[in-house]
Amino acid sequence: MAKTRVKKDIIIIGAGIAGLTAALYAGRMNMDVLVLENALVGGQIANATGIENYPGFVSVKGGDLMATVQQQAENFGAVVDEFDSIEKVDLTVSPKIVETEGHIYETDVVIIASGMNRRKLPLPEEAKYAGRGVHYCELCDGHMYQDKVIAVMGGGNAAVDAANFLTKYASKLYLIHRSQLRADQVSQDRLYDNPKAEVMLETEIKALKGDGKMETIVVHHKDTDTTEELHVDGIFVNIGVIPNTSLFKGQITMDEGGRILAGEDCRTNIPGVFAAGDVREKEIRQLTTAAADGTTAALLAEKYLTKLKEEK
Amino acid sequence: MVKVYSITTCPWCDKVKKYLKANNVAYEEHNIEHSEADREECLRISGDLIVPVTTIDGKDFVVSFDKAKLDALLGL
Repeated sequence: MAKTRVKKDIIIIGAGIAGLTAALYAGRMNMDVLVLENALVGGQIANATGIENYPGFVSVKGGDLMATVQQQAENFGAVVDEFDSIEKVDLTVSPKIVETEGHIYETDVVIIASGMNRRKLPLPEEAKYAGRGVHYCELCDGHMYQDKVIAVMGGGNAAVDAANFLTKYASKLYLIHRSQLRADQVSQDRLYDNPKAEVMLETEIKALKGDGKMETIVVHHKDTDTTEELHVDGIFVNIGVIPNTSLFKGQITMDEGGRILAGEDCRTNIPGVFAAGDVREKEIRQLTTAAADGTTAALLAEKYLTKLKEEK
Repeated sequence: MVKVYSITTCPWCDKVKKYLKANNVAYEEHNIEHSEADREECLRISGDLIVPVTTIDGKDFVVSFDKAKLDALLGL
């Protein structure tokens, strides 16, 4: 079936906090806005069990927060499509092209807010035990480990918050990290205070073992140069993220890690293409700064569109 | 009959259910938090400790949100 050609004022790629905030602002400026999301609306935050550092909320589940922002954006006319996957983009032509499974979209402005994907466990056994002991979604799969031994790998906020959440299921929980924790002190304190939790720092996971499903993990304690095998039923991997920018390679200027180079104004090397949120190379990546990027990108996109129309 | 094995707080489960609704596919929800029998059946079907699991007429199943496989099995 031939794909339908559709014109849009702005296409936003990614429906995390940056993309949906941009959609909210662009919608309020009466622009024809489409948000495309290949994975989860809400982005990485859809998996967050409790957010305590977003102003206006004492504590809020990531999914609830993002559903509200989506509703706000849709109330002002933005359309969010999470089922029409993007196949390719051409940002070098005018108008710019975003091709999905079902449509060929033409647009003068693209806001890239495609965020990050979780880094996979870098062990050869990962594929063998994926879904059978190795997991990436605490909210989805934590329940499978009722009264079981769970390990969380990682040392940032996502890892420590995941560990705190999973203690509600686990009979015992290990937090295993290769160096020192970087998570907020309040989250660390909560974990250290939990009698089910054992924190192993300066410790690396070297191997996974088990017949059919994972049963044990081999860890190496770097400080004592000792190795031990622990019985663990499930491991939840939180060892960082990688930018979701493969669609734009060769078109947009990026750093070596694949993050898009754009300043605080979110402008990329291509006029009319903006980068917002975690996908942009910057020092601080927080929900609040991603929302700020979405705001900036939408407001400057509107100025760009107005100027473009005046010139035509 | 389409059955979705899920839990309450799972964003990928929500995505599968939204997709089925958007395509007017009727489904039966089996929340494995509320039924030990459903939990055992979910594990038996996929062999994985993972949700969502969607079964179509008991013939085949789809793990997580796999749009291509759902489309193929449901004729979408």
